[in-house]
Amino acid sequence: MKNLIPYFTLGYPDNETLMKFLKVIPVNKINYLEFGFPSDNPRYDGPVIRETHKIGNKNFRDDLYDEFFSYFHKNGIKMYSLSYYSDIKPRFSEFIDYLQARNFSGIIIPDLIIDYYSEAKDTIDYLNKNGFEYIPFFSPATPDKIITGISELTDSWIYYGLQPSTGIDIPYELDYTTERINSLLPGREITYGFGIKTEEDIKSLMRNGGSGVAIGTYLEKMLEKDDENGFLEYIDKMRGVLDA
Amino acid sequence: MISSINKDIMPENWYNVVPDLPEPLAPPKDSKSEFSSINLLNKILPREILKQEFTFRRYEKIPDEVIEQYKQIGRPTPLIRAKNLEKFLNYNGKIFYKYEGATATGSHKINTAIPQAYYARNEGVNGVTTETGAGQWGSATALAASLYKLPAQIFMVRISFEQKPLRKTVMNLYNGNVVPSPSNLTEYGRRVLKEHPDTPGTLGIGISEAIEYALDHDYRYMVASVMNVALTHQSVIGQEAKKQLELLGEHADVLIGCVGGGSNFGGFTFPFIPDNPDTEIIATTADEVPKFSKGEYKYDLMDTAGVLPEMRMYSLGADFVPPTIYAGGLRYHGASPSLSLLINKGRIKSDEVTQAEVTEALRIFANTQGIIAAPESGHAIATMLKYVKEHKNDKKTIVVNVSGHGLLDMSIFGDKP
Ligand SMILES: Cc1ncc(COP(=O)(O)O)c(C=O)c1O
Repeated sequence: MKNLIPYFTLGYPDNETLMKFLKVIPVNKINYLEFGFPSDNPRYDGPVIRETHKIGNKNFRDDLYDEFFSYFHKNGIKMYSLSYYSDIKPRFSEFIDYLQARNFSGIIIPDLIIDYYSEAKDTIDYLNKNGFEYIPFFSPATPDKIITGISELTDSWIYYGLQPSTGIDIPYELDYTTERINSLLPGREITYGFGIKTEEDIKSLMRNGGSGVAIGTYLEKMLEKDDENGFLEYIDKMRGVLDA
Repeated sequence: MISSINKDIMPENWYNVVPDLPEPLAPPKDSKSEFSSINLLNKILPREILKQEFTFRRYEKIPDEVIEQYKQIGRPTPLIRAKNLEKFLNYNGKIFYKYEGATATGSHKINTAIPQAYYARNEGVNGVTTETGAGQWGSATALAASLYKLPAQIFMVRISFEQKPLRKTVMNLYNGNVVPSPSNLTEYGRRVLKEHPDTPGTLGIGISEAIEYALDHDYRYMVASVMNVALTHQSVIGQEAKKQLELLGEHADVLIGCVGGGSNFGGFTFPFIPDNPDTEIIATTADEVPKFSKGEYKYDLMDTAGVLPEMRMYSLGADFVPPTIYAGGLRYHGASPSLSLLINKGRIKSDEVTQAEVTEALRIFANTQGIIAAPESGHAIATMLKYVKEHKNDKKTIVVNVSGHGLLDMSIFGDKP
């Protein structure tokens, strides 16, 4: 099954609405979930996700989601945290303990190799030692040697952002992009994210060897509108496109 | 000196340094939280330019039509061994200069103006628009637009417009429409004029006016420098120089260039980076605009009005008001993100030179080589002279990029224009 990874910022648009959506997630249609822990400075996200962090930051309550985390875990769904290193650095090991206690499988840290490159290796080593997956996050702007060097430090799947930030719509060459990452990391599981919109895009990504897609900005808009049916239809449709 | 054997020297691709950087480039950041200035670029830049800014291919094929226009405006430009200067300096090593002043508009700026106008024309827009300080970029934009039969609206910083009337004549000759900025053509300009009727104008105001004009008239904005795509187009300079050195059996020990936004410098030096790890590379700025020594490496605005996204770069602050030095092209507050990263990581060194050193360097260069270089380029020449003095016995091969001629900037020598 190809990976379909819905993204949610915890606490957005409010805890009740988000919990309502989490309750109806068709657990047989998805295999990974990505949760954004609200950040004070989500600088590599686009305007929509930035707004979700701002609101999530006000609403998020630590205890509310635990039952969901264990529910997803029991249903075989792997959970990943999206966290900015600038937020978690001061209490890094504590935060990893917190995630592990809630059965998260790993973490995506968008600013680690951009803003804290000199700390990246030690950080990844620490996660490896603790049996927690570090998911490398790359974009077209990541230099070749960094892509290969960082990937060597882990066995996990790769998160590849197609745009400079989420929810951005800049023209890009899909075939060239996948060709480049495939040639740098042959055989590696690559999941694409950031600005994926059309079914055609998803089909092309899968045809070119992609192992899945992450969907964020589009879902947040449905949450905001409290559009539960739209959400379920969308997940259904995406699953169909991925497996076509 | 090498003759112009076009097909052997001119590259078929532009070179983009981003995939070869030692660390990831920080992505552009929205300058305002409520909307995406990155998305807004879709309406400001030709689609193909935007794609080239963000796709990060190592090699981008230069369209045949652009190669033809490069030939028409004088590419490849000469690489000349400055033997008279070597003799004058009593230098035992070798000095070469790549002469971008030999292009039709007299500077490297035309190297990116042509492809930007070409892509804009292909996309069927109404015209192109940009800002210009001293006028080199405006001249290149006007010519490139004219070659592709596009109207060009150029906003020229008011003080330069008044001080350099010949530049306006040049742009008009190339069918460019030039107004002093702030102008009455835009809402932003009218507002500034109302609040500060006597303002001399700044590049920031000019950029803001050009972008507003582009959005309102379905024009496209032409990027002078700083953004990666301009450096990529300028890579024709360095790729030619590499080839010319190779044909001469020479190896560059030292590369020197001047930095305004970084386009001539990046274009000249970056093609050497992947396979010349031992080549020393030095970026010169004006002592009055010490972005690399006194600037901070941080996210900052590219334009004063904050319409464009923020980039991580060395910056003196977007509101930095530089002194009115002769080298108008070096007054920019920041420097291209890729160049900034390479400076930050120590791969590229920096130097600063004073106006007095620049004037002296221009005189020496004119007296020995006969070339009256642009004040901007004079900074690179001044650093080269310093380098020679400090490495008298090293027998290095030094290559300096002379980014333009200074025939319209003679007031630096004390004569009125
Ligand atoms: C002749 C010349 N050299 C250098 C520059 C500096 O710009 P950049 O750093 O983009 O090459 C300019 C800019 O106006 C210029 O006209």
